[in-house]
Amino acid sequence: MLPLLYMVATSLKTYGETVTRVSSNPFHPFFWPKWNNLQFVNYLVSWQEGIGSYFRNSVIISTVTTLGILVTSIPAAYAFSKLRFWGKNTLFTILLLTLMIPETVLTIPNYLTVAALGWIDSLAALTVPFMAGAFYIFLLRQFFSQIPNALLESARIDGATNFRTMISISIPLVKGPLFTISFLGFTGAWNALQWPLVVTLTETWRPLTVGLLKFMSEAGPESQLRMAGAAIALLPIVLVYIVAQKQITDAITQSGVKG
Amino acid sequence: MAQRSHWKENLEAYAYLLPSFSIVAVFGIYPLFYTIYVSLFRWRIRKGDFLGLANYEAIFGDLAWLGVLLGALTFFGLALKLREQSLTNIHQRSQFRGENRLRLMTPAQRVFYGSSWMAFILGAGLLFFSLPNLYFFGDDKMFDSLRVTVWYSLGAVPLQLVGGLAVAWLLNRKFKGRQFFRVVYLLPYIVPVVAGAAVFERLFSLRPESFANQVLLGLGIPPQEWLLERRGLVTMLTGWAAGESGNTVLGYWQSWIEGPSLALVSILAFNWWVFTGYYALIFANGLSQIPKELYEAAEVDGASRRSVFFRIVLPLLSPTTYFLTLLGVIGTFKSFSHIWVLRNNLAGGAADPLSIYIFAVFYGRSRFGYASALSIVLTIIVLLLTVLQQRAAKDRVHYGE
Repeated sequence: MLPLLYMVATSLKTYGETVTRVSSNPFHPFFWPKWNNLQFVNYLVSWQEGIGSYFRNSVIISTVTTLGILVTSIPAAYAFSKLRFWGKNTLFTILLLTLMIPETVLTIPNYLTVAALGWIDSLAALTVPFMAGAFYIFLLRQFFSQIPNALLESARIDGATNFRTMISISIPLVKGPLFTISFLGFTGAWNALQWPLVVTLTETWRPLTVGLLKFMSEAGPESQLRMAGAAIALLPIVLVYIVAQKQITDAITQSGVKG
Repeated sequence: MAQRSHWKENLEAYAYLLPSFSIVAVFGIYPLFYTIYVSLFRWRIRKGDFLGLANYEAIFGDLAWLGVLLGALTFFGLALKLREQSLTNIHQRSQFRGENRLRLMTPAQRVFYGSSWMAFILGAGLLFFSLPNLYFFGDDKMFDSLRVTVWYSLGAVPLQLVGGLAVAWLLNRKFKGRQFFRVVYLLPYIVPVVAGAAVFERLFSLRPESFANQVLLGLGIPPQEWLLERRGLVTMLTGWAAGESGNTVLGYWQSWIEGPSLALVSILAFNWWVFTGYYALIFANGLSQIPKELYEAAEVDGASRRSVFFRIVLPLLSPTTYFLTLLGVIGTFKSFSHIWVLRNNLAGGAADPLSIYIFAVFYGRSRFGYASALSIVLTIIVLLLTVLQQRAAKDRVHYGE
């Protein structure tokens, strides 16, 4: 809370003010910029200095990743929950095991793989690996399992194929969890640092996380620019949070409790 | 129901699974084997000579001491298992609260109990000698980072648990503006990590006008270097340092007493800011599952709010607490993003947990082979921790009594 106020306050100061006009007490006037001289231009400057394009990149990356997660996880979860096939349990256990692997072990070999594929610095490298979400499949499968089979049977009797049943009946019934997964997937991709850092070389597809990092060193002592950049970075997520607060807290609790 | 041809349904299911599994296979499973492969080579961007286990030898120095360390860990595991055996069914037999455990054990159980302590002492002894030797003969930076990780865990998890629980408990009562507080408390967790860390890096900057230094100014303390400060907390508060005896076994352990570096403490402050709200949310969820009747019954019995908390709420929350401790410790071993943003090379590794060290070797020094070997070690540690936690918590958890 306090740090966020500090961020906003500092982002509106001039450079000179960040050095001379300081206080750790939010009730002290020095904490805040001069009211007649609010430097909104800081936001413009940091946007143009790169934050703008980084922001755009992150939006694209996160959206594509989320779509990818949905497209891959929904059928898989549906298959595990409603279809019968050979090797079902084995494959499910394998999926379970992948959840226990920590991310760091995967970074180095995946980097080598991606380099071999020629995907360095491309959108593909930034999105495809994130679509592998055993966790999302588990979550969805749990909810799909709650759909009474009788419902699906009646559709089948009416002549619908599995695919049709999935699309028209099952999916609408799991809207809540779908939102959860979309939110988690989106923020996961939005917040990712280690992988994009490794996989981007130039500014082309650099996401906000990496961009902010570089921005920190480039902007140097210009705290007010950095604060403006950080504010831009967190604004969309915070806005979404304020609007969809209930769903988001539910999403977090669900993913936490089910682990 | 009409007969379906089996292979048709199989095929369809596989088609549904194909997209996700192909990605999981390529980017989730295959890398595990690939890492092991890479760790056996000298690999600086390009594949080099086959090294066998040389990378691992470089990490641990003398593999004999590694054996001793593993022996220590085995003894610890044995101790836990024996303790578990000695404490089974004991609660069933107690007639009043606080009855002496030893009295309740069967003779066989007492033997187990005593042996568990012996195993523990043996393990501790082995650990005492093996760790410094590994440090001296192996990669000291790696063991330093291991130490940093331990400090990080010790500093982060208890604080977050206590803070989260306190917040959840306080917000459990109805009062005006409660909704507002609920929103605000989760906010730091929602904030993208890099943005938050960028702000914190400024808050703790070593310049006198930084927020942290301004607070110190108000308290009459000179400005500190915060994220650049590699000296341990204990050293700074008491002036005591391990001194020149560094190269002996005792000296090594003495350096632990210096405590976590101030740089690490600054990072812990950020950790605490972000995660307290998250823990509070999970605890609040757990709290909401406690039936109101329990509270009412306690009130009727004239229990104070405090004893309600300690005697009813706390034990009922133990599954949640156990889960969160597990989550927290494992999380600290794997955490990366915010530490990478906040760390500074000038702190000389005083705030680099293992995950950061591995990444620095990979990204900064391009030693892929060595970094791969290190990451395998990290994976094993994380797996071990998971197993240990599972065991240790078994006799503490009260499920729906």
